[in-house]
Amino acid sequence: MNRAKWIKYVGIITLLMAVVLVFLSGCARETQTDSNERVLHGAPGIYPPPPQGHFNIYITNNIYLGIYLDLVEQTLAFYNWPEDKWIPLLATDWNLDTTKNQFVVHLRKGVKFHDGTDFTSRDVVTSFYIPYLMNLAVWQYFDKVEAPDPYTVIFHFNHPSTVADRYILRVTYMVADSVYGEIAREVQSWADEEIYLKGLQEKRDKGEKLPISIEELDRRWNKVAGLRAKTMDKFRSFRPERRIGTGPFTVDIKDVDESQITLRRFAGYWDANKIQYDKVVLYNGETPIITPMLLAKEIDFATHGFPIATERQLKKTGFRIMRPPTFGGAGVAFNHDVYPLNRKEVRQAIAYAINRDEVAAVTLGEAAKPCKFVTGFSDTLVHRWLKPEYAKMLNTYEFDTVKAARILESIGFKRGIDGFWIDDKGKRLKLKLLCILEYADFASAGENVSLQLKKFGIDAPMRAVTAPQFPEDANQGRFDMMIRVWGAGHPHPHFSLYNDLISYNYPMKLGKGMNFPMRQNVAPWGNIDLELLIRSSAEGFDIEKQKDSIGKVAVSLNHLLPILPLYERYGNSPLLEGVRVAPLPEESPYYLNNLYLDNFLVLMMMQGQLQPAVLPGHNGGTR
Amino acid sequence: MPAFLRRLAKNFLLRRLLAMFATIFLVVTLTFFMVRLMPGNPIEVYINQQMSLTGISYQEAQNQAASLYNIDLTSPIWVQWVDYMKKMAVGDFGYSFSSPGTPVIKMIVDYLPWTIFSVGISIFISFILGIFMGMYIAYKRGGWMDHILSSFASITSSVPNYLVGILLLIFFGVQLRIIPFSVMRGTAPAGVEPGFSLEYLWGIFAHAILPMLTYIISTIGGWILTMKNTTMTTMGEDYVLVAKARGLKESRIIVHYVGRNAILPLFTTLVMQVGLLIGGSPLIETIFVYKGIGYALSNSLAQRDYPVMQAIFLCITISVIFANFAADLLYSKLDPRIKSNVTE
Repeated sequence: MNRAKWIKYVGIITLLMAVVLVFLSGCARETQTDSNERVLHGAPGIYPPPPQGHFNIYITNNIYLGIYLDLVEQTLAFYNWPEDKWIPLLATDWNLDTTKNQFVVHLRKGVKFHDGTDFTSRDVVTSFYIPYLMNLAVWQYFDKVEAPDPYTVIFHFNHPSTVADRYILRVTYMVADSVYGEIAREVQSWADEEIYLKGLQEKRDKGEKLPISIEELDRRWNKVAGLRAKTMDKFRSFRPERRIGTGPFTVDIKDVDESQITLRRFAGYWDANKIQYDKVVLYNGETPIITPMLLAKEIDFATHGFPIATERQLKKTGFRIMRPPTFGGAGVAFNHDVYPLNRKEVRQAIAYAINRDEVAAVTLGEAAKPCKFVTGFSDTLVHRWLKPEYAKMLNTYEFDTVKAARILESIGFKRGIDGFWIDDKGKRLKLKLLCILEYADFASAGENVSLQLKKFGIDAPMRAVTAPQFPEDANQGRFDMMIRVWGAGHPHPHFSLYNDLISYNYPMKLGKGMNFPMRQNVAPWGNIDLELLIRSSAEGFDIEKQKDSIGKVAVSLNHLLPILPLYERYGNSPLLEGVRVAPLPEESPYYLNNLYLDNFLVLMMMQGQLQPAVLPGHNGGTR
Repeated sequence: MPAFLRRLAKNFLLRRLLAMFATIFLVVTLTFFMVRLMPGNPIEVYINQQMSLTGISYQEAQNQAASLYNIDLTSPIWVQWVDYMKKMAVGDFGYSFSSPGTPVIKMIVDYLPWTIFSVGISIFISFILGIFMGMYIAYKRGGWMDHILSSFASITSSVPNYLVGILLLIFFGVQLRIIPFSVMRGTAPAGVEPGFSLEYLWGIFAHAILPMLTYIISTIGGWILTMKNTTMTTMGEDYVLVAKARGLKESRIIVHYVGRNAILPLFTTLVMQVGLLIGGSPLIETIFVYKGIGYALSNSLAQRDYPVMQAIFLCITISVIFANFAADLLYSKLDPRIKSNVTE
């Protein structure tokens, strides 16, 4: 090929490269549009784009807004976790009438939905009857929601409980009657009958006399089941065009694509002067997809879980790492069908042989705090919920391999010549440790536990399975030990204890699971039924009585160790200050709110504490 | 056997068509059973997602799932299969499990064009550039361009495409900051009304640049090396020597004698690649959040959305089978030496 042709090819390649650069610069221009707008960049996690993704918030694959949901739809109140206080939002006040078994809520006046309709008690009733259709837990506690006037709502308890307030005030989001009203009224038309029949069914199960015949009961059940199925079929394919809420930002289906969701400021917001941003752009993607965007400073805040190395890099890039608690973490659960794990001494020896500080440090660094009290719920809740007489009974299982060895020797175990323990039946201890492959922190925790136990003389090889396979293996008891989640995102320990001892255990009726017997003989109380205690720990309005149930379950868990909580997961959420967000205070009680459930950033935005780094007119806004 | 049946049995096209339909039937059946053999099911996946996302108990998540999913996974699997095949026969792909009320066909129609657009253009560019570069270095073998391009081709063809994608992001997006990739994610510019406007068309090209660059970089090496090889082999053929001896112009020898013959084996690969393009690349499309069929496949796999998975696998199967068929026909056209064997 001659020189001229060679130059021609070089020219073509250069031209191609130039075209690429022009495209890229075209995109760059796209980023600079509307430069006077004050924009916050967030990352809610992964959501499905349309046509799969939709705005029916009760149906799977709705467009997930994560912590930013509160900016579009609101609840009656927000919760301040460390101070155990409610912050009113759409409700101004509420009271519990224990004599009438009623929870009365008074609503804020002057609140408007994004479609211009007023927020009234009718919307609240709608917001609670759709969850009834969806079998949501909120309806475990009451049987009727009434609206005596436009700004008052009364909830009638059938199973009174102190945990119901959170379901009413915080868990249930207020949706517009203009969108969901028709379906809600259809639900109301058969819900009373269904609730009545459920009551009769409970009586029937207990063998009590019924006011109607069995045939009549069955006939009415079938009729109501048909009506429910009809409503549900209609509701499954219900796709609202917009997500109508009362929050400071609106979202339209046109503002959603596979890459991002754009929330736009709602001029009619009831507390508009506190909102300092014009737009919130939410980027779609899991941790690996979001990480490069964070490193390029394109995202201001993310709640994903990041590996230790990434966290270090984010710090270097200039991010402040926030650590809100999650009230749960990873623990080791034991299969009580496997000898010798059904002996509490062996489980206690394992607890002493595992250095929980080390597990926490290698797994998530500063984002994991080793469990101190081993109660099955967050250490931060221990002082609030455990009476001193129960707290002093707790064993903290400080790392002590000598003590662990002594316990095993006390029950006839010996070390073999290779240093591994041999049980009292002469069998070498080999216990497989099941864990979820995709959860990086669980896999690291499993690996570390496996190593530590090997060092102590227990062969505990890890068996990693995929996330969809895990519950199947766990429920069917196909494991010796497993790394599983403990705790729950709720300020009441009832939910944590329920998860710890009932999930993946036979009372769930999904298989034998851990097969930990729920009837136990625990000193000093003798025979106790843990399942009954857990269920009663959230019943009624008597907190002191609840504390007794919680104390007994916590101490039993601590002594019997069906599950050994290893660490509590805290967030390692990167916050970029100075680019689009002005620096936040060093300390705030809100930073101790649950990372996902009452997030500090959203609360601070709604309270006017989240300010743009640069105001409009100064250096072209915050883009 | 009657004579017309014997003739039919000998008919190449008919035999191929029958084989194609048999293959599709087999693959559809295998896919049906294999997706159900995967660990977990849509309900279990939903329950676990809810437990980890919202911290609710298993029981609560299970109650919600009972309301949400109107799917029958308990009836005998052969009953489910018969039902599925009946619907398939009339072109009914069903509804997404995880997004009740959304027809699967609507999803395919929504996702597939983006994959065809991005992967199709990439294959075309990669093929054209690859064969020119391959021919060039075959002629200049031993030269510095040969060393550079051969090394480049060896490296890029051995690096997985998702790694190329990540490296593009890290180097050009994070380190050098010359690619504004936060706005280049997705298939179209946010807030621009879809239509035949310059802004929109410009936008969709710009948004496809990164996945396209990734596909091109990760496939061009294969074309370069194969073309170099076949060109060098062809250059040693007698008819090329004769052409040179006849004093024909070098450009004519390159195009008509070497190029045309050297490119023949690459056509089969190209047509096969066109068949595979329907599958997109789940990893690339996920990295760049590009709404192609690979992205849909990746999400449906995570959610165990059987109807969506089955429909996507069916599309891939059909396209690969038809591409193979097309390759056979095309090859016989391009190379008259094998025509008689094929059509017999």
